[in-house]
Amino acid sequence: MADFGYSLTPSSRIDLNKADRETFGKLVKLEPDVLKCMACGSCTASCTAGVYTRTSIRSAILYLQNGREKEALEFIKGCMLCGKCTIVCPRAINTRQLVLSICKIYNLK
Amino acid sequence: MNKNVIVIGGGPAGLEASAQLQNMGYNVILVERTHELGGHLAKWDRLFPDGVPAKSVLDSLLANIGGVKYFLGTEVQSVNLLEKSYNVILSNGITILANAVLIASGFDLFPAEKKEEYGYGIYDHVITNADLESFFASRKDKQAVPDPRIPLQPQKIGFVHCVGSRDEKIGNRHCSKVCCATAVKQACEIKEEFPQADVYCFYMDLRMFGRNYEDLYLKAQKDYGIRFIRGRVSEVAEDIDKKLVVKAEDTLSGKPVKVTLDLLVLMAGMKNSGAGQQVGSMISLETAEDGFFSCRDSVYSLQKSNKNGIFFAGACTGPKTLPDTLHEARAAALTVHNYMKNFE
Amino acid sequence: MKERILSGYDNFVLPFMIGMVFLCIYLLIGLIRILKHIPGPDRKKLALSFINPRIIYKDCRDILCDCLLHVKIFKRKALLGYMHASIAFGWFMIIVIGHIEVALYTPQRNGLIYYPVFFRYFTMENNHTLRGAFFFFLMDFFLLVILSGIALAMYKRVRSIALGMRRTTKPSLADRIGLYCLWAIFPLRLLAESFTAGISGGSFLTKPMNFLFANFLSNDYHILPTWWAYSTVLGTFLLVMPFTRYMHIPTEAFLILLRNAGLKVTRPRKGFAEAEIYACSSCGICLDACPMNMQKKNLKYSSVYFIRFLRRHNTRKINEIADKCLMCGKCVALCPVGVESCAIKRAQRSTVTDGLYYDYSYLKTLSPVPANPADVSETMTDKPVLYYAGCMTHLTPGISKAMKEIFRAAEIPYRFLDENGGICCGRPLMLAGKEKAARELVRKNTELIRAAGCDTLVLSCPICFKVFREEYDLQGITILHHTQYIENLIRKGKLKLNATSRSYVYHDPCELGRGAKVYEEPRRILERMGRLVKAEKEKEESICCGGSLGSLTLNYEDRIKITRGSLKALTYNHPDNIITACPLCLKTFAAQSPVKVMDIAQAVTENLEAIREPAASGTEKTQFGN
Repeated sequence: MADFGYSLTPSSRIDLNKADRETFGKLVKLEPDVLKCMACGSCTASCTAGVYTRTSIRSAILYLQNGREKEALEFIKGCMLCGKCTIVCPRAINTRQLVLSICKIYNLK
Repeated sequence: MNKNVIVIGGGPAGLEASAQLQNMGYNVILVERTHELGGHLAKWDRLFPDGVPAKSVLDSLLANIGGVKYFLGTEVQSVNLLEKSYNVILSNGITILANAVLIASGFDLFPAEKKEEYGYGIYDHVITNADLESFFASRKDKQAVPDPRIPLQPQKIGFVHCVGSRDEKIGNRHCSKVCCATAVKQACEIKEEFPQADVYCFYMDLRMFGRNYEDLYLKAQKDYGIRFIRGRVSEVAEDIDKKLVVKAEDTLSGKPVKVTLDLLVLMAGMKNSGAGQQVGSMISLETAEDGFFSCRDSVYSLQKSNKNGIFFAGACTGPKTLPDTLHEARAAALTVHNYMKNFE
Repeated sequence: MKERILSGYDNFVLPFMIGMVFLCIYLLIGLIRILKHIPGPDRKKLALSFINPRIIYKDCRDILCDCLLHVKIFKRKALLGYMHASIAFGWFMIIVIGHIEVALYTPQRNGLIYYPVFFRYFTMENNHTLRGAFFFFLMDFFLLVILSGIALAMYKRVRSIALGMRRTTKPSLADRIGLYCLWAIFPLRLLAESFTAGISGGSFLTKPMNFLFANFLSNDYHILPTWWAYSTVLGTFLLVMPFTRYMHIPTEAFLILLRNAGLKVTRPRKGFAEAEIYACSSCGICLDACPMNMQKKNLKYSSVYFIRFLRRHNTRKINEIADKCLMCGKCVALCPVGVESCAIKRAQRSTVTDGLYYDYSYLKTLSPVPANPADVSETMTDKPVLYYAGCMTHLTPGISKAMKEIFRAAEIPYRFLDENGGICCGRPLMLAGKEKAARELVRKNTELIRAAGCDTLVLSCPICFKVFREEYDLQGITILHHTQYIENLIRKGKLKLNATSRSYVYHDPCELGRGAKVYEEPRRILERMGRLVKAEKEKEESICCGGSLGSLTLNYEDRIKITRGSLKALTYNHPDNIITACPLCLKTFAAQSPVKVMDIAQAVTENLEAIREPAASGTEKTQFGN
């Protein structure tokens, strides 16, 4: 990148070149279903915690694919594992276990 | 020549195929389970993309079936393969020796009450696309009793796409193909009916693939101000005033949305006809994972089944639009005709 | 011959003694280990249980019924029960009578561990022992009983279905050694005792055999080798016992003491859980019980293998099975030993998930939902009931709507706590092993319920119901599932139902049936409305719907197979409707069922009889107005 002699505010663009594909690959190996999401939003809409927080497993999956792990966690940290999203998911993704697996693999604090 | 072709199903596919086969000089026997011809088309009001009255299409179809023998309120009781023809016994006691059998059993509308979270049959103001068409059709009939589920002056109306389609939980993974266009069409129509109402469409993907369908979408946005929300509805609640509280996610903004509606229309999708499947099982026709009959291949021989002398036309091999169905009916007639040459 | 009777010792007792001493040391160390790992307060509970006569009575009764007579198996499968009871009780009686014989005839040998075991080798028939012919008879009798059991056990290996088991456990190598030893012990004992019966005396079994043998084996050279063989096999059995499933013999009794003292599983491998693990007899009854085993490929996830891997410390397999289990509790309900494998699985999950990150700080911002004024009518005199639908019920609005109708019909004022969304009850988190996180929800929900100020809490979801009853501190509030509540209303005459000719089958949801033992209320309601038909498996043996939140990793395809299997058992008697009492079961069944599925509340509203004529209800109102 050219040096203009001054700094810019960091780009808000999602940089797929920098996305961590390796860790995501580990998640896919453990939870192949994560690839099945068609982003319909049923999970977010039915979420019990979603009334009060930004909880959304759909968004978490999207952010992980885009290499934004820290933000992804924001979408699942409030999950109460009530299982409604698993019941409504039209692609039969085991979202409940997915939440646990993401926490396990990304080990985010 | 005296060759019999039996056509099972008196919907658009069956009617058109019968007419064509009759024209070609075959002896056509059409069997219809219900008491009227026309199938789902007879219950529909207008057709996408430009609102052609369903009745005019049906009238054209019926006008061409002169000479075709048809039995209403009749079911197929058994089908047996003889040497090269099929012995078909009907519920009215008639036995037909057919050289070819054309299955045009069509589809069943997905029973929307199976998606209990949408409240069909539970809440007062939830209807399906078919209910709405009957409502439109009944507007011309002054004597008809208006559907009590449709309020007189609804202020807010919602359409839920993909009810019973693209849903593995309910056993239908497939896309029903016609609901997107139907929803957009009906949204425009209801806006015409109730100009003061806000209309919302909850969709996952808008599959406006056919000629002029995109124009219909544009018209819905530009001329009718239909609000399209990209998100599947997850649940519907009823408040104390019997209004419907719909919950979805606006996936484009990444936020859950909630809206209170006076009327909710569920776009019930297509599944293979149960009655058709019964006939299929008599001749052990193969069905695919989606429940529809399997064609011999997926590109070249769409009208042929895995059995010689058994043919398909229309939605019994998967969701189809009406023009597609009519094309298939004609193609099926030709396929049957080519097959019949073997007998000469 | 004389010298053996005088000395009371022969070298052949050595194998037995080695086995016995080894086992005793092993058991002692195990006992100390378990006691060490039991938390302090629990140890105190255990100590106190030994001075509580009620618990002592219960201990004795349970040991007799469960360990010796296997009443639990008898009740389900008589022949299988006989097989277990004959060996266990027969062996027990032989040991007891053996000791009585020693105490009566050779009191000088009291205290020699091996002496009662080999009594007939060291004794001679004389006037003194002849008076004990009755005991000789008993000894032969129980030996025969055991032998019949062993014969059945051998037959079961070949054809298990004959004893009512579709599948049996695959034995490990150690189990096999133990098994063959066990099979050999008693035939060898019979042989050995028969050979010496000419000298020691015997009864209806050993005496005739002695005569028979005397006809073609006229010398005594074979006596000692048979006793050696008997002792060696017995010694080997005792020696390998700690590494086989036969550890359940001593452990089961110990487990009963611990359980009756009120101990619970806290850790997956240590303390109480260890006693449970060693008490598993690997009988394989859980194989047929597990709903996952509709498919043969899932056999490996059965509780019996879970326990086996726990014994072997195979963490990968332990976690795999723990995460797969539906937690429907059927294996626990049918387990003859009562091993609470679900509790162990939960504790195991906890080791993995409890430390995972979560953040429920938003709970602080939640304020109690104000009661909807329209729900509480001024004219009603009863104190309002608090209704909590639960998360899942929001996906089955038919249930909450029916409940509202029922409250209205019975003229009961109510408050709907989570009409506009609440928080989860915490049980799903607990099932997943996140105990710490669950506590936060329990705390918040307790606060919300207390703030609502009602004395009856009605729940529609059995998952919530179980956790509210067991893990919440809601003293002073009656907690009822809606089946119980509706039944109450009917009994009090507040609801009247029309009798119809419809036939219903009732599906026992796992958490309501096995989980909370509510079996009869829903059936009583249904009997008032129509004809209740039986399912192929019901009550304790009801099959999970497949939708259970208990399993973490079971995929959807496998779940569907369970759902279909369960539906098949339910429609066994061709009912018009399937009735359940759990939103999750309803949702799961509805997608697959050929028959209409309804919640019991929905079925009740369909058959409600208008209690009062419109005019009569007017007079009621004026009454309230006074």
